[in-house]
Amino acid sequence: TKRVGGAGTNASEMAADGGSSSLQLPCVFSPKSRQFLALCAQDGRLRIWNTDSKTLHQEYVPSAHLSATCTCIAWGPCRTVKEGPQRKKRKSEAVQVEEKADLLAMGTAAGTVLIYSTAKGALHCTLDGAHSGGVNCVQWHPEESLLYSGSDDTNIVEWDLQTGKTRSKWKADHAAVTSLCVSPDGKLLLSAGHIIKMWDLDTKEVYRKFTGHSTAVTTLRFATTRPPDSNGLYFLSGAAHDRLLSVWQVREDGKDKNSVVSFTLTDEPQHIDLVTSNSKEEAVRLAVVCKDGQLHLFEHFLNGPCKKPLSPSCTVQMSDTKESPIPIPLLAAVLGADTRTVMLAYGSHLQPVMEKVEINTAERHVCLTRDVQTTLSLSMETTVSKVKTPIVNAKSKVLVPGLPGHKAPLKGTSQGSEKRKKDTDTKEMSIAERLGEIDLSTVSEKGASKGTASLTTDNFAVLLVQGLESNDASILNKVFQTRKEMVIKKTVARLPLSAVLPLVEEVTYTFVLSYRAALMVRWLKAVLMHHTSYLASLPDLVTQLGVLYHMIESRVKMFHKLTKLDGKLYLLMTQVSANICSVVHSIISFNLTSQELSLSHKERMSLSSPHFCSYTPGSCEAVKTQAEKFECCF
Amino acid sequence: MASFKPTKIQVYPKLGEKVTQDTLYWKNYKAPVQIKEFGAVTSIDFSPVTPHNFAVTAFTRIHIYGPFSQEPVKSFTRFKDTAYCGRFRSDGQLLVAGCEDSVVRLFDVSGKVALRLFKGHTKAVHLTDFTSDRYQILTGSDDYTCRLWDIPNATELTTYTEHTDYIRCGVTSKLNRDLFITGSYDHTVKLFDARVEKSVITMDHGQPVESVLLYPSEGLLVSAGGRHVKVWDLLKGGQPLVSLKNHHKTVTSLALSSNGQRLLSASLDRHVKVYNTTNYKVVHNFDYAASILSLGLAPDDASIVVGMTNSILSIKHRKNQEDSKEIAGQQRRRPSYRVFVKGKNYVPKQDDYLVSKPVKEHLAKYDKQLQRFNVSKALDTALGTYIRFRKPEITVAVIKELDRRGTLKNALAGRDERGLSQLLNFIIGNLVDARFTPVLVTAAEMILDIYQSVIGQSPVVDRQLLRLQDLVKREIEFQKDLLEVLGMLDTMFASSLPRKEVPCSGIATLDWV
Repeated sequence: TKRVGGAGTNASEMAADGGSSSLQLPCVFSPKSRQFLALCAQDGRLRIWNTDSKTLHQEYVPSAHLSATCTCIAWGPCRTVKEGPQRKKRKSEAVQVEEKADLLAMGTAAGTVLIYSTAKGALHCTLDGAHSGGVNCVQWHPEESLLYSGSDDTNIVEWDLQTGKTRSKWKADHAAVTSLCVSPDGKLLLSAGHIIKMWDLDTKEVYRKFTGHSTAVTTLRFATTRPPDSNGLYFLSGAAHDRLLSVWQVREDGKDKNSVVSFTLTDEPQHIDLVTSNSKEEAVRLAVVCKDGQLHLFEHFLNGPCKKPLSPSCTVQMSDTKESPIPIPLLAAVLGADTRTVMLAYGSHLQPVMEKVEINTAERHVCLTRDVQTTLSLSMETTVSKVKTPIVNAKSKVLVPGLPGHKAPLKGTSQGSEKRKKDTDTKEMSIAERLGEIDLSTVSEKGASKGTASLTTDNFAVLLVQGLESNDASILNKVFQTRKEMVIKKTVARLPLSAVLPLVEEVTYTFVLSYRAALMVRWLKAVLMHHTSYLASLPDLVTQLGVLYHMIESRVKMFHKLTKLDGKLYLLMTQVSANICSVVHSIISFNLTSQELSLSHKERMSLSSPHFCSYTPGSCEAVKTQAEKFECCF
Repeated sequence: MASFKPTKIQVYPKLGEKVTQDTLYWKNYKAPVQIKEFGAVTSIDFSPVTPHNFAVTAFTRIHIYGPFSQEPVKSFTRFKDTAYCGRFRSDGQLLVAGCEDSVVRLFDVSGKVALRLFKGHTKAVHLTDFTSDRYQILTGSDDYTCRLWDIPNATELTTYTEHTDYIRCGVTSKLNRDLFITGSYDHTVKLFDARVEKSVITMDHGQPVESVLLYPSEGLLVSAGGRHVKVWDLLKGGQPLVSLKNHHKTVTSLALSSNGQRLLSASLDRHVKVYNTTNYKVVHNFDYAASILSLGLAPDDASIVVGMTNSILSIKHRKNQEDSKEIAGQQRRRPSYRVFVKGKNYVPKQDDYLVSKPVKEHLAKYDKQLQRFNVSKALDTALGTYIRFRKPEITVAVIKELDRRGTLKNALAGRDERGLSQLLNFIIGNLVDARFTPVLVTAAEMILDIYQSVIGQSPVVDRQLLRLQDLVKREIEFQKDLLEVLGMLDTMFASSLPRKEVPCSGIATLDWV
């Protein structure tokens, strides 16, 4: 089973994917006003950015930020002063902020949930002791002061925020709970590992089950606010390594086995924002940022099943302004009040850039260009209001979570010893490639000393011996393609005696292919010169080299005749070139004479015509046109 | 009437590698099916019972593939860490696998959850196998120990602590329930007997041992480690028989073809070599894209499965009978042999009147034209696209025949720009071929004689003549070099043969031209 969340599992997952996928870092806009963007970057710090001023609003470093990375963030619901009596503990700050979301819940890989208050700029409280595995998701109850968290230990915990204790805890699944979502009316809860379950929050019993995802579900959202008994309740789900968002309908009759609609994406969904619909006439608007950094916008009326997967109505990409543009990944996007404005966060997680953009949704593909470097430096200059950084000892080593090898402290490392595993480095460079690189680098530096040159030949000798041993065509090819006389000589000189005869055999074999032969002669000469005494001492030299001798002999038999042919060709071709010169000369003279037409034309024609006839049209078109002109003059 | 003799096409010996039965056999596989696994494929094991599914151990899971399935028919994923060495029991019902977390798990092939967990090793377990009585399990670990376990009550029976380094490979005897062999990174291969407390035979391989293999007769043992593959005679108390060094990187896996006639070794140098087990010569070689970690051969050599470091599993299936039948079917469409011999063996009776019917001789098109003395046309036919590119020896033979008749000049003359350039193209393409040089040089000289008056009129022909000149120049340079080499060889032969013999007189078998 694949689990998302938890640094340890993610690290192993990365190894499984060959390191291609990066960690999915939590990145959430505050609800309603979208004033803040909470983002947990690779360094484990929580940063809250102000989207209006585009500056860093607050930074919070949990004490265990390296060992217990933040895996999920959820903004608390907007509170007004009226709620005061309900929450005595936070009354003071509730008075200060009106209609503002100020609480943030963070789940960590160590199994704790941190409640952070933006108003205080400090940790409000820590909820712990209920999970034994990393927390994968946290969700706030929309009305009551309850918080739900799902964990790797397959449990869902309901926290009472007034007491800071667990109110109830139940086993949700056989596998890790990777995603949660509370319905807008606060009566239902969706949870998902691989199977999506709908719980009745009053009784904590399963109301419905939805199956269809084969990987861990990472996203769950309610798409409508209609009550479940009218067949109008829809929700959508996205899973890891899946390029589809599925929409499920909660039907009254319980016949809701399959998803009703699916949206196609270019990669697995990373951030989702939607505008819910309250009636059939209202379309659901959806903005999905994929892992590949593209934004897809969808608009769909949810009124029953739709067989075909829906493609986005608009796709937004972003690139920088360099000559060869590099795509800038989008991190998150939220939809604005009207259909065209979108708030985007893009760039790196450490320093995202927020921007409100008007998108021309009439076009299917939109590419925005931004100069990230300058915007980054601009935001750097601004002062940070409330930043707390831990005092770090100069000697201490900073580990970055998410790198393979780093594990949460709960996982005991059982293997102490270093293992020499040859299997681990999967993308191993072959020696041929390595040597090829060395070779290239020495060629590029022309002023390389003699030492490096000899090193290359030494390597070539090793390579050649290897190639001869295993009869590897590609290695031999590479070695034999060398044209440098010096390299060949040195390679042969360094060749161990045991490899000499195989080399001669190989040369004999490749000799057959005429296109290679010219290069092989050099190798042969080098071998014969360097290992004369060794070869001469061989008792069966004649049988060893006999084949080669005969091949050469048969080839040079025609030397005599070929040389003659060469002479003939040489003579003819020099004549041809001379002829061409004379033609050019005659054209020039002809031009000159044709201009002065005072002489008798007939005489001139009789002189020049035999000259024309001996040329085909192809060679001297100029002459021909001249002749035609000439004839016209008569 | 003297009959027309068709042009004799010289048959040249085929150059290059010799085609043996082995090459034909091992090349008779389809294009590989490649499957991306989750990590480096460390082990492949075939089920001993039909339909011969195979277990592929890669990263934290074991997939079981059917003989022709491209997707796993079953997968075991309940591993906490990297799994190793998934092996089937001899009845194909149970599967055992080691793990990086030192726990050995036993699975029912149809189930999903481990039936038994064997806990006791302190480090990763790279070797697991069933004994031949089916009730015990052999394991070998990175904690330098190998252990025997009882399956029914999951208890440890014996621990052997003789190795001084990681145990990475091993095999149990299929004939005797008490014998098993382990190979370790301490360079030794040890034969253990469960009835005694310590190893019976110790063989020193010389390099960390990566893989061991027992012959079906169990008299011979093959071990692989470093760049060497070594064969040991167990019946002579572990005497080394052969040491093979045909790889240039560590040999990681061994397999035996089903009839025991061929041994296969796979290595990190991306090759799989096939050895003849009678003389231990390499008879075939497979190339793969990445370093190979594991190799499996289906019964009857029906498929070759190779797992590589880049987590790709490559499966080559043997071309089945139907495919070869199809080819045979195509051949059978010709009239059968019986049609040709029909009536040939009729013995005439005494009073039969014999009417002789001349046998109609089949002639090639150029031969027919030669018969009618249409020399130009015959040459044109011989220069047809197919013959020119695929069978240049026919073209050359026709030119030679024309030269013999003394009509080559006629045939070559009277060509337009296109015809001449085609002819020159052919000459340029084949002039340096030692088999064709004598004939083509004559032809080239004749062409020059015939067309020298018009040279310079066509840029196309001129360009080709320049190319020809360039080619001849290079060839002459090359042959000069060759002559020098010949001189060297002569000297060498002369010095190596003190007796006054003509060098190379004994080997005049390979005459080319």
